Amino acid sequence: MTEIDVKQRVLAANAAAADALRAAFRATGTLVVNIISSPGSGKTTLLEVTARALKSRLRLGGIDGDIATERDAERLRSAGIPARQILTGGACHLDARQIEKALGEEGPRLAGLDVLFIENVGNLICPTSYDLGEDFKVVLLSLVEGDDKPLKYPAIFARAAVTVITKADLLPHVDFDLSAVRRQVAALNPSGRFLVTSARSGEGMETWYAMLEEELAVKRGAPVQVEVVP
Amino acid sequence: MGLAAEIHRIARETADVEGGGHLDSVTVVVGDLAAVEPDLLEFAWDAALAGGPDEGARLIVDWRPARQICAFCGDVPERAAGSWLRLCPGCGEPLAVIGGDELEVRRIALTQEPRAARELAPSVPLEETA
Repeated sequence: MTEIDVKQRVLAANAAAADALRAAFRATGTLVVNIISSPGSGKTTLLEVTARALKSRLRLGGIDGDIATERDAERLRSAGIPARQILTGGACHLDARQIEKALGEEGPRLAGLDVLFIENVGNLICPTSYDLGEDFKVVLLSLVEGDDKPLKYPAIFARAAVTVITKADLLPHVDFDLSAVRRQVAALNPSGRFLVTSARSGEGMETWYAMLEEELAVKRGAPVQVEVVP
Repeated sequence: MGLAAEIHRIARETADVEGGGHLDSVTVVVGDLAAVEPDLLEFAWDAALAGGPDEGARLIVDWRPARQICAFCGDVPERAAGSWLRLCPGCGEPLAVIGGDELEVRRIALTQEPRAARELAPSVPLEETA
């Protein structure tokens, strides 16, 4: 038997692809947001409403990862922004090479955007590990999922720069301790931002838009980018 | 599952560079903060290799505990299983990660034909020598 030392990071190939994407996005000044949540927490709805609100002043685009169907990309296109569906055929996350390939195939339709939203496959676990060249991750948590999720899925809440509570209009109807969730997220991610929104009522949406525009301005004003630790 | 396939790809590529051979085991270093569950990784490993030439190769997980240090009081608090400690329980300040976030292929073990045999009879198929 021969033993061979390897010492190679498991995700080195993904990290190299993500770094190449990050360099390309830096060159075009595109803010890239990787959106992660459970299925049904409202990723596509948040993006539809965002697209309708911001498309007149920002060039937006989307990449949607799903196991099956073109539904999500179609919804974003109906909301008036270019969108590309990636079908993973069973895989529970997107990786950087899929993003590279999709952008290559879309060409000018998804080039030179102000903001590119990457809507990951609905899952709080695997997408956490894959750097897609994004500026930051956003994790969504809807009220109906329960108020213990940050403690049960700590990795994503620790790594996402922004936690967005969705479906806040349901607060009177469900047992959801918002302040407990706020404390859990603060303990996991002391420097993270915490937004409470409802795409339906519009609550908190202005704060979300302002945050996107602020981050875009920071990216364009400050070309030196802090590398995201995968 | 994606990670298991990636670990196998790295191991197989390394084995091929080293002259090929049968993959006996692959050792991976997995940190407590890498967000990888070793049992699930082993399950995915078996599934990723099933039906292929490396089926049966063993995955050895070298587990590393999380190490987080408080910049203010210098404390390195113990972390309870399943919790992600980010604030110092002593003084409430954010903790810095100093270890336990590793996820790397550390080493592979191969069974190779003896070098002399390969050099003497490089073109003879295995069936004919058996």
